Amino acid sequence: MTTYIVRRLLWVIVLLFLVSAITFVIFFALPSADPAQLRAGRQPNPQLVEAIRHKLGLDKSLPVQYYRYMKGLVLHFDFGYSYQNNISVKQQIFDRLPATASLAVGAAVVWLVIGISVGTISAIKRRSLFDRVAMGGALVGISAPVYWLGLLSLYLFANDIGKIKIFPGSGSYVPLSEDPTKWFTSLILPWFVLAASFAAFYARLLRGNLIEVMSEDYIRTARAKGLRERRVVLRHGIRSAITPIVTAAGLDIGILLGGAILTESVFNIPGIGRLAYDSIQQSDLPMIQGTVLLGAFFIVMMNLVVDVAYAFIDPRVRYS
Amino acid sequence: MQKLRRLMPLAAVAVLALVAAGCGSGGGGSTGGGAGTQSTSGKTGGTVTLLDAAGSVDSLDPGYWYYQTDYEELGQTTQRWLYSWKPKDNVPTPDIAQGPPQISNGGKTLTIKIKSGIKYSPPLQNQTVKAADIKYAMERCFAAPVGNGYAFSYYSGIQGAPSAPTSKVKDISGIQAPDDNTLVLQLKQPVGILANANALGLPCTIPVPKNYAAKFDNKSQSTYGQHQVFTGPYMIEGAGSGTVSKAGYQPAKLISLVRNPSWDKSTDFKPAYFDKIIIKNGSDVTVASRQILSGTSMMSGDYAVPPPAVLKEGLTTKKDQFQISPSGGNRYFSLNTTVKPFDNLNVRRAVAAATNRNALRQTRGGPAVGTVATHFIPPLIPGFDQAGGNAGPGYDFYKNPNGDLKLAASYLKKAGYPSGKYTGPPILAVADNTPPAKQTAEALQQQLKAIGMKLNLREVPHATMYSKFCEVPKANVALCPNLGWGKDFFDAQSMIDPIFNGKNIVPSGNVNTAEANDPKFNSRISAAASITDANKRAETYGQLDKDLTGQVYYVTWLWDNEVNFTSKNVKGVQSAFNGNAWDLTFSSLK
Repeated sequence: MTTYIVRRLLWVIVLLFLVSAITFVIFFALPSADPAQLRAGRQPNPQLVEAIRHKLGLDKSLPVQYYRYMKGLVLHFDFGYSYQNNISVKQQIFDRLPATASLAVGAAVVWLVIGISVGTISAIKRRSLFDRVAMGGALVGISAPVYWLGLLSLYLFANDIGKIKIFPGSGSYVPLSEDPTKWFTSLILPWFVLAASFAAFYARLLRGNLIEVMSEDYIRTARAKGLRERRVVLRHGIRSAITPIVTAAGLDIGILLGGAILTESVFNIPGIGRLAYDSIQQSDLPMIQGTVLLGAFFIVMMNLVVDVAYAFIDPRVRYS
Repeated sequence: MQKLRRLMPLAAVAVLALVAAGCGSGGGGSTGGGAGTQSTSGKTGGTVTLLDAAGSVDSLDPGYWYYQTDYEELGQTTQRWLYSWKPKDNVPTPDIAQGPPQISNGGKTLTIKIKSGIKYSPPLQNQTVKAADIKYAMERCFAAPVGNGYAFSYYSGIQGAPSAPTSKVKDISGIQAPDDNTLVLQLKQPVGILANANALGLPCTIPVPKNYAAKFDNKSQSTYGQHQVFTGPYMIEGAGSGTVSKAGYQPAKLISLVRNPSWDKSTDFKPAYFDKIIIKNGSDVTVASRQILSGTSMMSGDYAVPPPAVLKEGLTTKKDQFQISPSGGNRYFSLNTTVKPFDNLNVRRAVAAATNRNALRQTRGGPAVGTVATHFIPPLIPGFDQAGGNAGPGYDFYKNPNGDLKLAASYLKKAGYPSGKYTGPPILAVADNTPPAKQTAEALQQQLKAIGMKLNLREVPHATMYSKFCEVPKANVALCPNLGWGKDFFDAQSMIDPIFNGKNIVPSGNVNTAEANDPKFNSRISAAASITDANKRAETYGQLDKDLTGQVYYVTWLWDNEVNFTSKNVKGVQSAFNGNAWDLTFSSLK
């Protein structure tokens, strides 16, 4: 197992290197704005543009620019400085990561609890009223755009613009370290909005898997041995049916840790997604590189975590 | 030369036709002072929150500030300028200066006496502003580590001013401080915008104490902004330690302003009613608009107009919470005179005649967002009336705001297209890919089809449109549909010179996108800059505007409005100088 993990970690490094190279190439290959000119403002003096270009290192050849970036990153864990405001990319990312992590992890808890509960009950009570209502609701949940759902939740439940003033609205996010209660209440709406489509998808996925698993021979055997139905479902049924859920959850959480742009925008949560979006608009390559690498890092790491988790969940899986 | 207020790309900011524009009076020629008709009295105290859609200021350094948001949120609130601007005035008011510049030596020497006893915020609370601090502030605007965007345009007439950015802050012989209260500018020749103090009412004249700032400026990029000292009524929260802290500023998240303990109200004309100003960035425009209109103690931030549904509802039920005024900017599209077929004046006139400017305005929201333009200089700027006011100079191709296809055909015939339709190859046009600019470009594409002109329309991000295409001559873009220009101050030089003077054509960052380069016009524009008499300046620039409009280098289709709104308990006061964005030092709670 250890060898497997080490090997995978080495591949993570290779993958991140490739991602950084591809991001770099895309930035310069596609028609993006000239960072030096953007920084120089309107009607800039040409010499000022050149001075800024020199200062940002943009007057060097592309391989040299990339080499310098990677050297800083590998040797000093230095992601460089924003072209737009000269602020450290690393500092910006670490400033914003807690907000995104709060959003992603909290939403994951919500969707896993709802998705697994609803999926399980629907599978057991197949074709019941609950099942039909739940699966119908899941279809709506999957179909509803996050941005629209966010606006709707604010218009209904936000304590400033909502009809029923229950939860703090947009812009109310405070860090956990500052005020845990406010942190929690400010994230209730975003968690549910972000979790809605995932919960719906997971419920449908688990329902389908569980129905299939519950008709397997070993389930019949378990029942024949006289095990209680609850134990059959929880111990033998769900354990087997949940494997695809673990895979999906790992990747989804990884993706969201790299930023949930729409949810962050609607609720004005200063996270990584919003930072990435703004950076792209401003052609701020160091910031784009930083956020893309962070997103890629979380995705590959969560993928690794999922693969390792298989070994514990599914007795058939062994790494050697 | 301010860039028109940048729009939050996520937001759909096209507005429905709802209200009559508020800029029909045409009072562009006024140069009078006084506080204006807008009441500026208010209640002292309280906290206001400004909701921004974008990421707020680009820099904390006063030497870098150039955009509307910079001025609104930090420039006017935290610093005093040599000359500042009362909310409705279109002439600068002495702020740190005691009075207007004293002109001597045939207009080549300007002497400015400055007030005594103006103190800096902590940690320099025991230090007062001296003339040498303004000299240093102006000198550092020429230094590359500061990255100022206008010093070379407006201060190059000062003796000894560098022609290129300096690697460090260098002494400029023409800026002198013979004693603590006297600033002298020695000019190469008379410069109208310095003599009338317009160009001295910019943030480069915010005092910067050399003994404190030099160590921060002595880097490849100055860090003075993070360590600055303040002279205005407010300062960034927590910056009294000498370093801006997270409590006061978090990039693209938050700015928190508190009262500056060193500020002495008796020396300043700003009432500064609020006790605290909080600026929150990154709001969704739709949500923020509703929060402001239904909440308390909030004001609209850096977006030009709220979304259509919110504006429609707001103007119906909460009209008192809105203020709509001309921004002092315009919107136009350029016809590149170096690219066929726009090297032909009659083709350009045909395009102007075929353009339905009303329909283009509709793509941004209709009458609420501005007045259909008939020439380049917008209302409120001297020269506007002289160029014909709202009615315009009287050219036939601008006569019908809905377009005149028959007239367009006649111009095309004159241009050598016997059918009255353009029969040449498709024309490259590069547009913004976000609404409402995207819709404007697509509407223009449809309109020009009617005269046989097929636009090969490329839609790209806003910044890319400028810096890779429209402002790069070698990109050979024939038509740029989404351009706009805003004044830097109430002088037409800042509208005409950058856009029409051939000397401004540069390989990149070229704002003369039509590449207008007629030697006769170039010399007339350059000569106008040295006129110091206000009436003569207005007359000269008005006539230039008339003549340049006849050449149709650009088709100006809108004089912009600024649409601002507040919570019910806030009395917002707009700053005419700053494109009618809020003046937070005059606004108050009710």
